[in-house]
Amino acid sequence: MKSRRRYIQYIAGIILIACSFTSVADENGAVAVVENFHSSLLNIMKNADSLQFQGRYDTLAPVLESTFDTPLIAQVILSRYWSDLNEEQQDQFVDLFNRLSISTYAYRFDSYSGESFKTTGIEELKRGRLLIKTEMARQNEKPVKFDYLVHQNDGNWYIISVIADGINDISLKRAEYVAIVSDKGFDNLVIEIENKIREMGGPSTNI
Amino acid sequence: MILTRLTPITKISLVLIFIALTTGCATTQTTANGDPDPLEPGNRVFYSINDTLDKALLQPIAETYAEYTPDLVRTAITNFFDNLSYLNVVLNSFLQGKFDQGLSDATRLVFNTTIGLGGLVDVGSHIDLPAHNEDFGQTLAVWGVDQGSYLYIPVQGPNTTRDVTDLATSALTNPITYAAGAILFPLAAINIINKRANLLEATRIRDEAAVDPYVFTREAHLQRREYLIHDGNPPTTGYDDIFDAENGNGSGQSDVLRIE
Repeated sequence: MKSRRRYIQYIAGIILIACSFTSVADENGAVAVVENFHSSLLNIMKNADSLQFQGRYDTLAPVLESTFDTPLIAQVILSRYWSDLNEEQQDQFVDLFNRLSISTYAYRFDSYSGESFKTTGIEELKRGRLLIKTEMARQNEKPVKFDYLVHQNDGNWYIISVIADGINDISLKRAEYVAIVSDKGFDNLVIEIENKIREMGGPSTNI
Repeated sequence: MILTRLTPITKISLVLIFIALTTGCATTQTTANGDPDPLEPGNRVFYSINDTLDKALLQPIAETYAEYTPDLVRTAITNFFDNLSYLNVVLNSFLQGKFDQGLSDATRLVFNTTIGLGGLVDVGSHIDLPAHNEDFGQTLAVWGVDQGSYLYIPVQGPNTTRDVTDLATSALTNPITYAAGAILFPLAAINIINKRANLLEATRIRDEAAVDPYVFTREAHLQRREYLIHDGNPPTTGYDDIFDAENGNGSGQSDVLRIE
């Protein structure tokens, strides 16, 4: 009886240790995704002049496509209107939002003045999601907090939301896009976003 | 008559209590259906007027000011006006029960006003007396008052029925309010132009990113207020609720697979 209890304790201990290792490994994987993204940002910032907008866009495109779960983000942003779209429109919007995201990063991160990123913490949220807390240090200015909400899909971690100094980009865009679709319809939202991409210098639709 | 016999502190306390009571009543009514912006049609009109005036007048002046004023001078002017309004921060730190922070803020105010040459030099930040961001709207939030309805106020900009109360407390605690007209108007003009110049980067980002600038401004303002109320650490539950609400019973990836 005593040996059986000890055996159960032993098994439970192994499971606990295995779980904690898995958890640490998972967290490391999630942090790596965010830190690799930051390395890519620093790369385009440091080489901003030689790359120009197009070079920064081309460098970031594969990084964002493998780092962000854009299909999920696009779906959440369109909220209740997502299910009103046919499959072609949904694909169109995912592509549109992807080009908007790449263009925005390529447009904004266009110079380097000694900025650096560091991971400051990890918080577990619901359904296995993690919040990776980071800071971008700037010379002679306050650091900017960037928090990344990440989730796992097919064993890989993806960013699904970025919060900069408390401003949640996905919530902000959702409020805007839902207002536009509600007032002017989906086609007008597409036109508005295409205009924004064009103004930044990004490419037009490639679907 | 009775009010004239009261000390300034008593007057401020009475105003705060009155504001707190009336705001509490107002916010309960306006947020009953969960819509943060029930006054949207009127707000959009004021936003449009403000935006037109800003682009025609204030923004060009602020851009010229920013272009020709050395950074050192702009920093000193910003420090000066921040210091003038800092008594409001001290007061609200104490009202929120942050006594250590309140003492630090009061000390910072004294150091910056004296050693910092009337506030032109931010001495406090160099001697571990950092600037905090507190106001009466945040105090009411800490006391449990809901944000109420979003308000877009002519000239002043984005606000809420709860936070608008800070217009009174910040005016009462700012020495500029008590200055004579000959000093008040030029100081107020410099303050407005300098503040607008400090917001040029934020409005540039808005103009570049927003497809609906009114909604963009409202959402950014309300989120920023939450961030300040929680001193830079707002509850994280809202970040992923948005995904659960959309996808019902799972991570949402199953729904996404449907479209791939």
